[in-house]
Amino acid sequence: MTDDPYLATLDLPRTNGELVFDEPWQARALGTGVIALRELGVGTVEWRDALAEAIDRHGHDPDEDPANAYYTAWLDALERIVAARA
Amino acid sequence: MHDHDHHHDHDHDHDGHHHPRPVSEQELRTRALEATLVEKGIVTSDAIDAIIDRYVNDIGPQNGARVVARAWSDPAYHERLLADGTAAIAELGFTGEEGHTIVVVENTPDAHNVIVCTLCSCYPWPVLGLPPTWYKSAPYRARVVAEPRAVLEEFGVELPDATEIRVWDSTAEVRYLVLPMRPAGTDTLAEDDLAALVTRDSMIGTGLPLAPTAA
Repeated sequence: MTDDPYLATLDLPRTNGELVFDEPWQARALGTGVIALRELGVGTVEWRDALAEAIDRHGHDPDEDPANAYYTAWLDALERIVAARA
Repeated sequence: MHDHDHHHDHDHDHDGHHHPRPVSEQELRTRALEATLVEKGIVTSDAIDAIIDRYVNDIGPQNGARVVARAWSDPAYHERLLADGTAAIAELGFTGEEGHTIVVVENTPDAHNVIVCTLCSCYPWPVLGLPPTWYKSAPYRARVVAEPRAVLEEFGVELPDATEIRVWDSTAEVRYLVLPMRPAGTDTLAEDDLAALVTRDSMIGTGLPLAPTAA
């Protein structure tokens, strides 16, 4: 199913349509987020904004692997929301 | 933390576990976050495993199987699916940024369709999940174009000589999905039972649907 709103509305790192993970924690962080955000009642717009802020905080390093950068920001945003809401 | 006696070169022995690779800071944070959420009763580790299986490792070909079963069961849907695959597939709720244009090619007694991406590994993932490893392999990509009948025989698909084999090369813009022929002896089956006969390979063209007794 591709109808999960948190996955459907985000521009997750992909190559040829496949989700890209370089390390297992990245998939784990994604799966944890999908459930926790739903359970905590975090809307897709709120999450997208929180993620965008985390990506800004993380900064852009052209040498960093894109999946590592994305999921590090994902983890940061998720930690903050959990700290505030859970 | 556990060692305060300055024998840092032995500090991995304290818990009896050896880590074959360094554990990243993010991995530790991910574990800690999961533990916190489990403790609060917000997530379970099983549910996370299920999400990873379902969305991450492989969304699976079950979406495509539902599309095929609907087409076999509903003549009007069948017509819409062949006329505009993307729209008909979206009717069932399957969309994705990589699946914007999906063209459905129908197998008949006269023509058998096979999909490939000769350049890379383009694949109709909203309906089939992630591509199998062999789909991405250089030998499949080259040989299915040059000698499709031989490749299909290696997959166990033997077609009559009179059946034309059509190979469809996927691109970033256009992905193909094979609509296999409905197996004989399935006239009384409901849509869900039909979907169980539709294998991933039958929608790539390197396989045929299961026979009803084998389901």
